[in-house]
Amino acid sequence: MSDYLLETRNLQLAYGPFHAVNGVDLKVRTGTIHTVIGPNGAGKTSLFHCLTGERQATAGKILFNGQDIIRKPSHGRVALGMARSFQLTSLFQNLSVRENLRLAAQGRDGLGALNFWRSVEHKRSHWDTADRVLERLKLNGRAETLAGELSHGQQRVLEVGMSICASPTLLMLDEPTSGMGIDDIPLMTDLISDLGRDHTVLLIEHNMSIVMSISQRITVMSHGQILVEGTPDQVRNDERVRTVYLGEAA
Amino acid sequence: MTDKNPLAVAKGHGHALLLLLIVSLIGLPLILPSATLATEILIFGLAALACNLLLGYTGLLSFGQGIFFGAGAYGAALLMIHLHWGMLGALVGAALFGALLALLVGALAIRRKGIYFVMLTLAFSQMAYFLAYTLSGWTGGDNGLLDVPRPNIEIAGHVLVDLADPRHFYAFVALLFLLIFAGALRVIRSPFGSTLMAIRENETRAAAIGYDIRHFKILVFMLSGAITGIAGALYAMLLHFAPLSNIDLMMSENILIMTIVGGTGSLFGSLLGAGAIVMLGDVLSELWPRWLMLLGVILILVVVFMRGGLWGGLADLVKRLQPSRALDAKTKETL
Repeated sequence: MSDYLLETRNLQLAYGPFHAVNGVDLKVRTGTIHTVIGPNGAGKTSLFHCLTGERQATAGKILFNGQDIIRKPSHGRVALGMARSFQLTSLFQNLSVRENLRLAAQGRDGLGALNFWRSVEHKRSHWDTADRVLERLKLNGRAETLAGELSHGQQRVLEVGMSICASPTLLMLDEPTSGMGIDDIPLMTDLISDLGRDHTVLLIEHNMSIVMSISQRITVMSHGQILVEGTPDQVRNDERVRTVYLGEAA
Repeated sequence: MTDKNPLAVAKGHGHALLLLLIVSLIGLPLILPSATLATEILIFGLAALACNLLLGYTGLLSFGQGIFFGAGAYGAALLMIHLHWGMLGALVGAALFGALLALLVGALAIRRKGIYFVMLTLAFSQMAYFLAYTLSGWTGGDNGLLDVPRPNIEIAGHVLVDLADPRHFYAFVALLFLLIFAGALRVIRSPFGSTLMAIRENETRAAAIGYDIRHFKILVFMLSGAITGIAGALYAMLLHFAPLSNIDLMMSENILIMTIVGGTGSLFGSLLGAGAIVMLGDVLSELWPRWLMLLGVILILVVVFMRGGLWGGLADLVKRLQPSRALDAKTKETL
């Protein structure tokens, strides 16, 4: 097995003549927190959609654990050990926090979830997973609250938390701090670096300063292609990155 | 707060709900003028319950329920008339026929979401109606299928229960209702049922955490089709007649109205909805031939003022009474 958990080869996503993702070779090393950053329109989210299966890449390969998964539908990628969170909070609003997490744990059962005769109480392991994750997210006190009634910051935390319930090897997080208040952001970055100890994390982020401290590897995208890849220090000191990214921000 | 979580409600009040149902099933024929009317309520209660599995628990608005209702009626009637099948065989046949048609309709309709799904079920509904109308050699067309038998329950030629007596038939239908209700309650609390609610809440997320949505939707569609088929079969046996209107779009509409008026959050609500609409029809149609206009008014009132339907309204009422009682107890204590 190679050192890389996830690898793309010449990945393309075209909308007619426009290439949102234009020949990306991304390599995510096992056990790292790897961040993809880039200014608006750089193709981060399009790349993310190809990886999650939300969009079908138009050319290239996506290797996960050495297996080409480019034709796998999103739900099929969960069973392989991939999990994702959403940029726009996407929860089961009218179900309890605990039930949200239990459902996420149950999702890895695949067709086993079609069992219609046993009570959900019967499968203790899913409840145990939910309780363990509740604790890790520090949401124990809100277990029976409806997800829709949590504060926005807590909803973002639950959003990320749901993705670890199926014990994935790869966590793909789409702008987890999106819409969070400045005071809540350290909460999220702490959570992500905590999760990074157990999972390989692929993080998509718009805000560069947030990810510098927690990432081991950073890929900078621009115009659908990889501009620079390296350690946070290398990226910070790269002239090209300053021009397209920091320059734009300044 | 957790009351809004249907799973918590189902968990906590499962036995109480069954008890309430048993009391209602026993009480219904006692307070109503005829056992036939009570039977009709249960039959439509079954159809509404099946519709509720789709609408209330999976978030699928189907205008195709009349297809399965009509198919169950024709299917069971034809099996009994031509092949001389008994009561249970005819019901199983109707359930299978309903499930099979639901598989066909569902497999195509669930490829689209939202309004397009609704339109597809509507289209299938129209097709089924005209198919039944055209195949008049089998269905009797406009005249309906006449002389539908209501076989007794027999073992080796020995009559166990004589169902020609309307009260006996009511008891039989009530028993079926209880069994199907308990089964549906169980399904809702299973991994399958909990996933249906996840799909209702957020389809994208449900797919993202690993569920193949199509499997769940097709299976719940088939389950709904099977139960609706049984309801259709029982209705044909009740009337000794399977009218073309069974498979009409109006039937789909009626079943939907009963489901919504009763409340989409609860299976018991479906029985309330069916009871309310069937009884209103019975009472109002004698007073005023244009009573359907009032049905529209009632539907509007429920949708605007009682979002949880009759069941939600009752639950609110009980809740509103309870805290005041708790408050009374407190004030008494302080006194």
